[in-house]
Amino acid sequence: MPDLTAAEPAIDVRDLCVDRGGAPVLRNLRLSVNAGEVYALLGGNGAGKSTTLAVLMGLLRPAGGSVEVMGLDPATQADAVRRRIAYLPETVALYETLSAYENIAYFLGLSGDRPSRAEMDAALDAAGLQAGARTRRTGGFSKGMRQKVAIAMALLREVPVLLLDEPTTGLDPVAASDFNALVGGLRERGAAVLMVTHDLLGAADCADRIGFLAGGGIVEEVRADDGLDVLALHRRFGEAAAG
Amino acid sequence: MSRLGQELRLFLRQRLAVPTLALLALLAAVSVAAGVTEIRRQAETIARIQPLQAAEEAVVAAWVSRDGDAGNAAYYTFHATWDRPSALAFAALGQRDVAPYVLRVRALALESQIHEGETYNAELALPGRFDWAFVLTFLAPLILIVLLHDLISGEREAGRLQALQAAGGRAGLWTRRAGLRAGLVFVAVAAPFVAGAAVSGAQAVEVLGVLAVAGLYLLFWTLVCLGVGALGRSSVANGAVLAATWVVLTLVLPALAHIAINSANPVRQGVELTLAQREAVHAGWDKPKDATLAAFFKVHPEWRDTPPVTSGFHWKWYYAFQHLGDLSVADPVRAYRRGLESRDAWTARVGLVLPAVGLQTTLHRMAGTDLAAQLAYQDRIRAFHERLRRFYYPYIFNETPFREGDFAKAPRWAEGD
Repeated sequence: MPDLTAAEPAIDVRDLCVDRGGAPVLRNLRLSVNAGEVYALLGGNGAGKSTTLAVLMGLLRPAGGSVEVMGLDPATQADAVRRRIAYLPETVALYETLSAYENIAYFLGLSGDRPSRAEMDAALDAAGLQAGARTRRTGGFSKGMRQKVAIAMALLREVPVLLLDEPTTGLDPVAASDFNALVGGLRERGAAVLMVTHDLLGAADCADRIGFLAGGGIVEEVRADDGLDVLALHRRFGEAAAG
Repeated sequence: MSRLGQELRLFLRQRLAVPTLALLALLAAVSVAAGVTEIRRQAETIARIQPLQAAEEAVVAAWVSRDGDAGNAAYYTFHATWDRPSALAFAALGQRDVAPYVLRVRALALESQIHEGETYNAELALPGRFDWAFVLTFLAPLILIVLLHDLISGEREAGRLQALQAAGGRAGLWTRRAGLRAGLVFVAVAAPFVAGAAVSGAQAVEVLGVLAVAGLYLLFWTLVCLGVGALGRSSVANGAVLAATWVVLTLVLPALAHIAINSANPVRQGVELTLAQREAVHAGWDKPKDATLAAFFKVHPEWRDTPPVTSGFHWKWYYAFQHLGDLSVADPVRAYRRGLESRDAWTARVGLVLPAVGLQTTLHRMAGTDLAAQLAYQDRIRAFHERLRRFYYPYIFNETPFREGDFAKAPRWAEGD
């Protein structure tokens, strides 16, 4: 995994403006995530969280500002950026007729990677998917199991940047806690993780920094080492969302 | 495993993929089998004709040679002609469905003999026979639509699209996926054709030509599917738009074009020519012999100085008014042919903008089953008939006895005719 200095954030968003359907969604958004850091971006419905991820993946062109992922501009170097990121949508949709192994081989094959079975096992071990499930078709997998497969893919790709879109929505508390632990493990491996979520508790559990997105920009940002109090965060989140 | 191999595995694991392709392959195989069977039946009919022709000729020869009357020889001897099917005819039966491929002619008035065989099977003429060209033209695009309508939208609806794009799956992925599916459709429809072509003894270059045309046609529908898919609508909307496109491009517009072409190029029925000529010939019985012979000698002055007709009935007079019967419908026959050729030319023009029409006309041309092939057969019959007349007329007009040995000198229909 590339070694990034603090002076070069893995994700660097400056004064980002995005319009969708003629309406402004993001206005002068400033955001940065460093290597080995988990950043939770919180916001209400329609605040622009998923739009931010789409811009980072080069799926949307910004109306203004600058965006860099690993020093690359997603708008003009989308393929290069995508080779450096892993994206976990809110619901990880795998090919249900393929097994966990086959899904990993397929998705990694799209970027030219061909992991061995041993490498896949190592990644699935790290992601916590039990061995007996790996050869089964994923049609019967729970959301948590599908996420573990997706995390294993991210680990195999050794990408420096992970984008997580509402990853704990719909997970039971135990599975959510397991997932947060997994995210912590990704941080330990040096990945820059940007997680957009409604889940304040989960964010407080695993994020190094939490940004409140409202009105198209970050209205407040708190750090884990500030000593996070979830109830206090909840109030501040509400205040921030109210403007 | 290669990317293509992974795509293949993914595709084949889909619930309807294999049954859909198997259905297409089965329909293609059935159409090829039906075509091969029909063409084999036609070839066997042609093969049976030749010994039967010889046997019948022997009977006529035995009877005619008793009095040596050349008029009887010309009148009672049928001469078989045939239009042997090409090695590709099984794939696109075209006019061979409805037009005669065997015709036995006599040295009498010809045009009625040619056109009285045009007794179309109305049930077959309307939808056409279930041949390989039908499967390729109408059914293969439907299977392509089934397999490609949700190429991208299906991934979007399943929630995988962003993950695929983020994983690096962009144009290459869709090209590979669409190419694989279109390729499998091509194989499903082409493999039975290749087998049929091998059985029929088609040349490799002919087979490759047909496969190239089929490939272009499927490429067109693949691009249509991709174009509609690129509009970003739902799978259901894509399916509806593509189904409507199929209906318009393969059924509605060709039918409208057919009606417009037929209306703009009115053509009499061939059987009307038969009737017109028959009436002209029968009227010959009531006309003065001198007038009939004088009209005949105008076009064939070489027989003017032969012995005069004095009896009540003479073959000279009979064959003269038969001959004049052909001349009496020469203009309508030319108009009929021009009308058919005009329709054919307009159909070819329509084929430039309607792929289904273009495909059918191209396949029929390659298989030698189009209108041009049918008209060419008629031309060969006319040339052969002219040889018959030139053979019999010296005996009839010079009143030369026709002996058994003379039958062997009569023109024979040959493959090159």
